[in-house]
Amino acid sequence: MIRLLLLFSGLLFTLFIQAQDVTISGTIKDGENGEDLIGATVAVPELGIGTSSNAYGFYSLSVPTGDTLKVVFSYVGFQSQAFTLLPRQDTTFNINLNTGVQLDEVVVKANSFQEQINSTEMSVEAITTREAKLVPVLLGESDILKTIQLKPGIPSGSEGRTGLFVRGGAQDQNLIVLDEAVVYNANHLFGFFSTFNTDAVKDLKIYKGGFPAEYGGRLSSVIDVKLKDGNNQKFAGSGGLGLISSRLTLEGPIQKDKSSFIVSGRRTYVDLLTRQVNRANEDNEDFSPIPDYYFYDLNAKVNFQLSDKDRLFLSGYFGRDVFGFSSDFFNFDFDWGNATGTARWNHVFNPKLFANTTFTYSDYQYNINNQITGFSFGLGSNIADANLKTDFFYAANNQHTVRFGAMATHHTFTVGRLQAGSDDGAVSFSAGQEFQGVEFGAYVSDEMEFSDALSVNAGLRFSGFNNDGKTYVGLEPRVAARYKLSDRWALKSSYARMYQYLHLIANAGVALPTDIWYPSTQRVQPQRSDQVATGASYLLGSQYFLNFELYYKWLDNQLQFVDGAQIFVNDELEDEFAVGEGRAYGMEFSIEKKEGRLTGWIGYTLALTRLQNFETLDPGGRFAQESEGFGPFNPIYDRRHDISVVALYELSKRWTASATFVYGSGDLTWLPPGRFTFQDVPGAGFEAVVPDYRERNNYRLPAYHRLDLGLVYKFFPKWGESDLTLSVVNAYDRRNAFFIFFEPEFEGEESNTGGINIPNRIAANQVSLFPILPSLTWNFKF
Amino acid sequence: MGLIALSACNLEQEVEIDLPDYEVRPVLEAYVEPGERYRLLLTLSAGYFAPLPSLDNLLDELLLDSAEVSITHDGVTYQLENTLLFDPTTQKIYNYAAGPNDLVPTESDLPFELNITLPNGETIRAETRLLPQVEIDSVVIEFPETGNPRDTLARALTYFTDNPNTDNFYRRMLQLNSLDSLPEQDFVTDDRLVEDSTIAFGTGFNYKVGDTLITTLYHISEDYATFLESVDGAAAANGNPFGQPSPVISNLEGTANALGIFTGLVSFRRNDIVMRN
Repeated sequence: MIRLLLLFSGLLFTLFIQAQDVTISGTIKDGENGEDLIGATVAVPELGIGTSSNAYGFYSLSVPTGDTLKVVFSYVGFQSQAFTLLPRQDTTFNINLNTGVQLDEVVVKANSFQEQINSTEMSVEAITTREAKLVPVLLGESDILKTIQLKPGIPSGSEGRTGLFVRGGAQDQNLIVLDEAVVYNANHLFGFFSTFNTDAVKDLKIYKGGFPAEYGGRLSSVIDVKLKDGNNQKFAGSGGLGLISSRLTLEGPIQKDKSSFIVSGRRTYVDLLTRQVNRANEDNEDFSPIPDYYFYDLNAKVNFQLSDKDRLFLSGYFGRDVFGFSSDFFNFDFDWGNATGTARWNHVFNPKLFANTTFTYSDYQYNINNQITGFSFGLGSNIADANLKTDFFYAANNQHTVRFGAMATHHTFTVGRLQAGSDDGAVSFSAGQEFQGVEFGAYVSDEMEFSDALSVNAGLRFSGFNNDGKTYVGLEPRVAARYKLSDRWALKSSYARMYQYLHLIANAGVALPTDIWYPSTQRVQPQRSDQVATGASYLLGSQYFLNFELYYKWLDNQLQFVDGAQIFVNDELEDEFAVGEGRAYGMEFSIEKKEGRLTGWIGYTLALTRLQNFETLDPGGRFAQESEGFGPFNPIYDRRHDISVVALYELSKRWTASATFVYGSGDLTWLPPGRFTFQDVPGAGFEAVVPDYRERNNYRLPAYHRLDLGLVYKFFPKWGESDLTLSVVNAYDRRNAFFIFFEPEFEGEESNTGGINIPNRIAANQVSLFPILPSLTWNFKF
Repeated sequence: MGLIALSACNLEQEVEIDLPDYEVRPVLEAYVEPGERYRLLLTLSAGYFAPLPSLDNLLDELLLDSAEVSITHDGVTYQLENTLLFDPTTQKIYNYAAGPNDLVPTESDLPFELNITLPNGETIRAETRLLPQVEIDSVVIEFPETGNPRDTLARALTYFTDNPNTDNFYRRMLQLNSLDSLPEQDFVTDDRLVEDSTIAFGTGFNYKVGDTLITTLYHISEDYATFLESVDGAAAANGNPFGQPSPVISNLEGTANALGIFTGLVSFRRNDIVMRN
């Protein structure tokens, strides 16, 4: 490892003493609204050199002094711009690109595919807000996080399973960042909708492997969501009225070209209807009032161009789900949600060195309050982070792009805080744990272009975590290599080690708001993964992009619950943990088309995930008898085959049709193969059928498949643009399995005494969640 | 309610499923109750979709007979004969019992050791003790103070005192009007979260004037609490997609891979009639 560090030090020294050429640098923006364009290309065709803009729209390209050069700026869907340059000194070019509606012939077609061929990045998927808005969605709520699940390696569909399970990773192994602030629970309504309002999102990218060194803290994926900056050219708005919610986004310049704002909100309104129903039935004694439920999101962002070299961004998110129910004797409130805040400063030190320094605050909490005459009950959990990080981007020359930076996060965990008792204080219960942890990291990486064919991105991340008097540290090597066989063929490989210092205490498979984040402690060690991936990318013709990848992932220090674990209000949670390891491997294939009337992709994943060698943290403890160790077993999200087909077809300027089809092997579930009779103590009832559960996840549900259809009709009124979006989810009304349960059936009346009731048969029943579900949404923008 | 709604949308349907193979195993319920005979119920589990017995052949299908069973306490070994006992008051069945005069002492600090040899030679072993009785301090009957004449139903608040020097587990059962009715409430709890020594159980406003509330408080072992929670958990996970299934956690050892419980069962019971002061 020391050798590796010396190699990096030497490399950096070499880089800093280079730089004889001149540098052109600047930012590339959308001319229509001033948004930074991420991944736009800058090329000098005659020299065969080029680069692309980073996540903040900044680019830097070294060119030799001498003759005039033609520099071409391009971005998919935008009209290219070319400039002639006589390179004598470092030059700043801030470029605005415009969409090429009138000039189709110069609009870049396959730009992004070529960029994917050229890049060392692999195992990356991206989705555009356009795709997210056109794909048919549940109840008409376009959802960029749900749409990304249609990409290979991220199991899609699956009735009611709402967590993200990337390449065999558990649902807590996804780092979800919104404008660089961590979002701990990206779900509304138990995961059927995400917290991301598509109107406010600029870009979403997911890394499934080959993680760049700047990312750390989770094992299986990084989901990087960037909010729009706000239109700095003109005041604009967009929104929609849907079946269950409405949304509105307003944006505009504060000072044209210099600063802008964006504010976006969304709220569901089913509760307004249910309140009226409850009011109408106030005098009906047989009527059970419907509880209130709604969720809302607010996003806001401002940005200021402080100088030619400085930009400041301030953004925030606040969202809550609220569930409530009350009667004369009873008052129950349950709310949960995230809050994030980001202050970001971009500074260009010189044409080669760009820095992004960010302070973020993240908070996720849930609170349950219940009052029953004379007694009250309050339960909550919370994780709050304050994070400072700085990232440097140094374009040493066209062969080396160096990134380095550091971060520190202070975590506050409140786990299962309970206060309950009588109002007079005679009875009192309490529970809860609090932890203060510090996570830290530093990294350096170098994107090295050895030749036109071979590029390598090598990096090293150092990370650590301190809590409970214990400090863990880890070194995380990262390397990704690309070898171009031709302009159309690229072979890629990567290796990444990741450490994860936080753990989600959750029921596997279903994202519940009461899931608790728990830190690494003296007994609970950090999770670790090593992933290798290799694959090939091929550009077929000018429109089709084929990608094939194989991966293998080793997972260590994986947490599972012991049998019979009590996870709700337990100050000795660690006694309920068992620690083991996992293996995940598979193959992904996709073919994608981004231009033309017909766009979309087909993805196929073949995968296997296995967990094994679990040992309880509390040997000999309360639940140890049958749980000293267990496994191997496959987690519920171990899905062998997964197919997704997404097609968007532009019928005319006004009409666009879309369809998605998903097919997946059924999820695993844990069913009892046996039963026994339990007569219990005197006074208690006789149970003729009690399930006897044995091996975990022993039954595979039937295969899941579903076709969704969508149709968009656009209007072009004078004030802007609007559309009606029809979505039909589960078009052929497939009954996919959500869960299976066994139901004893009795002949005649059941005894209501402690007597013996014997069922005459037991039925296996399958429950589905969604029949065919049409919905209509009206969207507008001006 | 949710399942009814699903049925209405035709989202619930019966399916044929092929479960993994299941090895039938012995099931033991043995409660050592002060003042009662040594007795227990030894049965067999079954594959989930194995043919169900009827009331006529229930005992033949269910009971595991011809085992050698003994309980040793205070140096004395009591043989439990394979005989059928039916208690008509509690409607409970036992298929092994010691002699009618072999009664469990009302108090003892010494262990009870169970040894069973099954007809196939496999064994079951377990040990338990009697815990001290915990009395119910009071049962408070309260009517709502809403002023609404329609609010005529009362609730019951049951208070008892926990010994803060030991880890304690309790089972509290509430029955309405008769002991052979199914419990209105049946909770297992412990004292881990108790801030002082008072523990309370409450009911909803469900009881009318004249009702008799029968409250039983069992002071139970950690083993038995774990077993009961795992039985409840196993039952609750069937039909609840958010539930966490779990095997039943027994306190039995031996070679027979048996499930079940062997535990002392010390209780305190009181009756209260609902009335307005």
